[in-house]
Amino acid sequence: MLEVDALRVSAGRFRLHDVSLSVGRGECHAVLGPSGAGKSTLLAAILGVLVPETGRIRLAGADITTLPIERRGLGYVPQQLGLFPHLTVRENLVYSARARRIPAARFEPVLERLVAATGIGALLERSPRTLSGGERQRVGLVRALASQPQAVLLDEPFAALDEALRRDLWWLLRALRRDWELTILLVTHDLAEAYMLADRMTVLLDGRVAQQGDRMEIYTRPAMPDVARFLGVETLEAGRVVAAQDDLVTVEVGSARLTALGPVALGAEVLVSIRGEDVALSRTGGAGGSARNRLLARVVSLREGSPLRCVELDAGFPLYALVTRPASEELALRPGAVVTAVIKAPAVHLIPRRSG
Amino acid sequence: MSLRRATVAAALAVLAVYGGLLASLGWFLDRSALCATLTSTRMLFALRLSLLTALVAAALAVAVGIPAAYALSRFRFRGHQLVDMVLELPLVVSPAALGAMLLVFFANPFGAWIQVNVVRFVFGVAGVVLAQWVTVLGMTVRLLKTAFDEVPRELETVARTLGATQSHAVWTVTLPLASRGIVAAFILAWAKALGEFGATIMVAGTMAMRTETLPIAIYLRLSSADLPGTVALILMLVGIGLFALELTRRLLRATAHA
Repeated sequence: MLEVDALRVSAGRFRLHDVSLSVGRGECHAVLGPSGAGKSTLLAAILGVLVPETGRIRLAGADITTLPIERRGLGYVPQQLGLFPHLTVRENLVYSARARRIPAARFEPVLERLVAATGIGALLERSPRTLSGGERQRVGLVRALASQPQAVLLDEPFAALDEALRRDLWWLLRALRRDWELTILLVTHDLAEAYMLADRMTVLLDGRVAQQGDRMEIYTRPAMPDVARFLGVETLEAGRVVAAQDDLVTVEVGSARLTALGPVALGAEVLVSIRGEDVALSRTGGAGGSARNRLLARVVSLREGSPLRCVELDAGFPLYALVTRPASEELALRPGAVVTAVIKAPAVHLIPRRSG
Repeated sequence: MSLRRATVAAALAVLAVYGGLLASLGWFLDRSALCATLTSTRMLFALRLSLLTALVAAALAVAVGIPAAYALSRFRFRGHQLVDMVLELPLVVSPAALGAMLLVFFANPFGAWIQVNVVRFVFGVAGVVLAQWVTVLGMTVRLLKTAFDEVPRELETVARTLGATQSHAVWTVTLPLASRGIVAAFILAWAKALGEFGATIMVAGTMAMRTETLPIAIYLRLSSADLPGTVALILMLVGIGLFALELTRRLLRATAHA
C-alpha cells in the first residue's frame, strides 16, 4: 500500500540515508528510533513537507513523490498542536469535507460512525482549548480518518499523555484499525507502543535503517549491538564461540559457558543478547525441563520496576533477570542469595561483533 | 533595599518621566485657548488629515506586510537575511534621513517620472502618506512576522493533509490564528504614522491647510510661540495615541478570550 524506496533526504545538517520500507494494506508499521535518528525527517518527506534528493514514495501503486501534500491521500496525526484552536471540534472534523468540497450526504455518515466509535459525541460543540490531552488526540484521530485517507501517519501521537490514557488510546487505535482496515505508519520512540500496535518495525539509527522486520523478530533477535541497546536488551555481553556442533554452539562469556543456536563459526567474536524475561530463576537448581543453560548465580542487586523487578546476577558474567514481585518474594531474592539461572538455548541470541 | 522594591521603584520612575512631562503641560494649559484651538478649522483639518493619512499608510503597510511577513516567517530564500535586516532601517536611521532619502529618490530621473506621470508626492498629501508608510513599514512587517511565527507550521501541514491547498490553509488556519497580531500591528502602525514628523516635513513640507498633519501643526504653533495652542494639540495627539493603545489592548484581550 505505502512503499518508500531508497529515500535520501536532507534537513539542515541531518541526512536520511537510503531508507526503504513497505506498509501493506491494513498493516501497522512502526518506525522506531531514539531522538535525532531521523524519524521526523522521514515522516516529513513522506508527507511532502521535505523534498527527497533521491528515492520514490508510492501509495496504492501511484508515485506520490512529487505530489503536493494535499493530493497525497495521507492522513496525519501529529504529537500535539494538531487541532485548529479557532474552530470548534465539529468544525475541525468537517474541515476536510469543506476543503475538498465533499457533499455532507457522503461525509456525515462516515463521521457519525467514527464519532460513535471513539465516544467524542459530547465534545462536538467544544473548543479544542477546553479538551484534555486524551480527548484532543481522539478528535485528532477522528479528523484524520474522516478525510478517508489511504494511509495514516501517526507522529508519536500519544507521547504527551500519561500511561493510563496512552493504554486506553492504544486499545482504541487497535479497534479502529481492525474495524476500518487502516494502513498505519507509526513513528515512535516508545517500544511498548510499537510492540502493542505494530505488525512490522523499522529501527532507524543515525539516519539509516538499522533493522527491519517482524516485531517479535526484532524484539528477540536484534541484528546489531546498537539496536539491542536501543531496544533495552538487559544482558549484552561480549563472548567467543568455543565449540560448534550441528546447530548448537557453545559461547564463552566471562567465566561461564552458554549454549546457543547457531550456526556461528568457531572462534567468532559475538555479543550475547539475553532478554531479562527469558532468564528463569530457581532455588532448587531447576532440575527437569529442556533448558540447556543452568548457571549458578549470586544475586548482586534488585531494582524495582513496573511491573517487573530487575535482578542483577553474577553468573560468571553480569546477567539480568526480570521477575514478578510474587516470584521474587517466593524465591527470597536478596543480595548475596545464590540461585540457578535457567535460560533456553533459543533465548541466547548471538550478534556478530566486528573483530578489532 | 529588596529586589522587588528596587525594580518597582525603577518602573515608577519611568512613569514619573512621562507623567511629569504630561503634567508640565498644565502650566500653559488655557481652557479658552484649548477650546479655540480644538474647534478651529485649521485644527480640524490637521486632525482629519492625520487620521486619514495614518489610516491609509497603516492599511498599506499591513497589506504589503502580510505577504512579506509570511514569507519571512515560513520560507528561507535568497536575500532573506537582508530583508530581515532592512526592517530595522527606520529604527536606526532617523525619520528625517528617511524623508531626505525619499526626496533624493524623487530628484532621480525615475522618481521625477513618477512625480510627473503617476502621483505628485513631493509637497502633496500623497507625500504625507508615503512618508508615514515608509516610516512604519519595517515595524509593521516585524510585528506581523512575529504574529505568523506564533502560529505553528504544523497546523498548516495538518490542514493540507486534510485536503486544503497551501493558500486555503493560510486563509483558513494561519490568518485567523494570527489575526490578533495583525490587528495589533495595524493599530500600532496607525498610531506611529499619526505621530510621524521627520520624514513628513521633508517630503511634504509645512504647508498650512494642505500638508499640515497634527505633528506639523504642533511644530508650526511652537514656531510662532503659541504655547497654549501647542499644548492643546499635544494633548489631542496624546489622547488619540492612548486611545489607540487601549483599543489594541482590549481587542487583543477580546480575541484571546474568544
